[in-house]
Amino acid sequence: MGLFDWLRGPSPEDIARREAAEQRQAEIQSALLQGTVPAMIRSRLEGARAGRLPWVATLTPAELMIARSHGLKPIAAVAASCWLHYGWSWTEGHAQGWDAALQRLRDEARAAGANAVLDVKMRTIPLEAGNSMDFTLVGTAVHVEGLPPSSDPIVATVPALEFVKLLEADVVPTGIAIGAYYEWLLNFSINPNMTWMGNIESHQLSKLWEKVRRNAHQNLRVHARRQGNGVLSHLNFSEMFEDEVNNQKRYLARHIVVATTVDARRGTPLPHDFRFVVDIHADGTPLTGTTPHHQSYASNESEGAI
Amino acid sequence: MTADLPVHAMERLKGLRSSAHSTGVFTSDFSVNEFLLVRKAGFEPIGLCVGSCVYHVGIQYGSWSKNQELEVLSKAMYHARELAMSRMRAEATAMGADGIVGVKLTIKRLEWDDQLLEFIAIGTGVVHGDGHKGFRAHDGGPFTSDLSGQDFWSLLHSGYRPVEMVMGSCVYHIAHRGILSGLGTVARNVELENFTSAMYEAREIAIERMQFEAAAAKAEGVVGVDIREGSYGWHTHVIEFFAIGTAVLPLAQEIAPEKIPDPIMVLSVND
Repeated sequence: MGLFDWLRGPSPEDIARREAAEQRQAEIQSALLQGTVPAMIRSRLEGARAGRLPWVATLTPAELMIARSHGLKPIAAVAASCWLHYGWSWTEGHAQGWDAALQRLRDEARAAGANAVLDVKMRTIPLEAGNSMDFTLVGTAVHVEGLPPSSDPIVATVPALEFVKLLEADVVPTGIAIGAYYEWLLNFSINPNMTWMGNIESHQLSKLWEKVRRNAHQNLRVHARRQGNGVLSHLNFSEMFEDEVNNQKRYLARHIVVATTVDARRGTPLPHDFRFVVDIHADGTPLTGTTPHHQSYASNESEGAI
Repeated sequence: MTADLPVHAMERLKGLRSSAHSTGVFTSDFSVNEFLLVRKAGFEPIGLCVGSCVYHVGIQYGSWSKNQELEVLSKAMYHARELAMSRMRAEATAMGADGIVGVKLTIKRLEWDDQLLEFIAIGTGVVHGDGHKGFRAHDGGPFTSDLSGQDFWSLLHSGYRPVEMVMGSCVYHIAHRGILSGLGTVARNVELENFTSAMYEAREIAIERMQFEAAAAKAEGVVGVDIREGSYGWHTHVIEFFAIGTAVLPLAQEIAPEKIPDPIMVLSVND
């Protein structure tokens, strides 16, 4: 490429490529608006489904081993995104954004002829664009040997090893449930005692937190009921802000809970014996350590490994 | 651990040096466990293979209001990695290696110039202990894989062998503000379809390119795929979507799924 190529203007190939790209963009956008899988993605998924293209799996080799011995065949890597602008509510946007991505992920899984999507990770691109954020899910669509393709593929936020462990115990991880809630406290009044007496509960703020957390968990339950009969592995994200308007302190509290939904039959014990071991590894033991599986809420308190 | 140590180990302990390695030494960046598992899988390390490439990444101007792939940057990122990898592979071929395991592919920015990037590929060349050549890649050269020694052992025991590290890159410009300007006061949450479709297109291009490489290597599938986003000192709206994984083929002697043993579950009683 010469230094002054740009003076010469674009070549016919450049123009053709640009037009093809624009057409692809338009096609993707209209597919998203109609709630269908964009054509270029559909053709890749169907190629992998028919075996014309190599399968693609985010699984590690150890997971591939377990997948094979349990009749799971990887088909394709699937991914779904929703980039949302928060005009109304940042907090509730999280529930809305993940839910949209989840629906799209299921559509891709269906196009791939899958029974399930494993190893689903929640991802967010670190790009600040206005008041908005992207909600992305990435996972591996798999087919269970001997089963017809599912019309409602399950979405498992756990890696293949845990997926198999759960299935053996008659627990089916089915999807992701989100509970989000926020509330403003506008009429905060300082307890005069608080300024000099020290130890005293701030009832108003306690109540605010309690209400926000309870409602978030209530929303989680409602969202989970559509997908299964329980949730595991909460991931919690909460924040509280203070500001002041006309000498009046105001508080905003918000709480987001994300969890894996499961469909569990009661009373089926795990058909394996456990061996007790003492690990003499020098640093943190690799037996209990888990690497973080999701990065969207990496900066906040978190429990478990959803 | 048995008391009956191998003859060779006993001799070495007595102070007798082995003449088994004609070149004298092998080099590798294996940890102890990796080393043991690679040998358990029937392979011997012969030497560390390195390839590097310092690349001047060109400039490409795009329209700020447009979603578009920056082909000049995509090609640069791909070509530079490819150069580093092929140099590493050439070194392995010269050593007579059957493959390279534990390849680490890294990108470094050079301090004195924004547009210079250093690409480094480094891995351990291995040979099959019994001289079996069936593990080589489709072109008869060494296989490449970013799998660790542990992963390598697991892969062979799941009935597959690595063929080639495959990747796809798409450097993409995500449209700038402008499309947001009309939304400032909208009192509801709306999806920015323009941004969403940018993500879809860029990611799809990267996955497709990786899958195309796997098909060219005559692989059955790609394992350990990572789809990630990165920025290497570019403008904040310029993001590289990068897909990487190891293309695999079934072993010549296939392992039936029911022959794969179940793992034993253990409970660590450490606190």
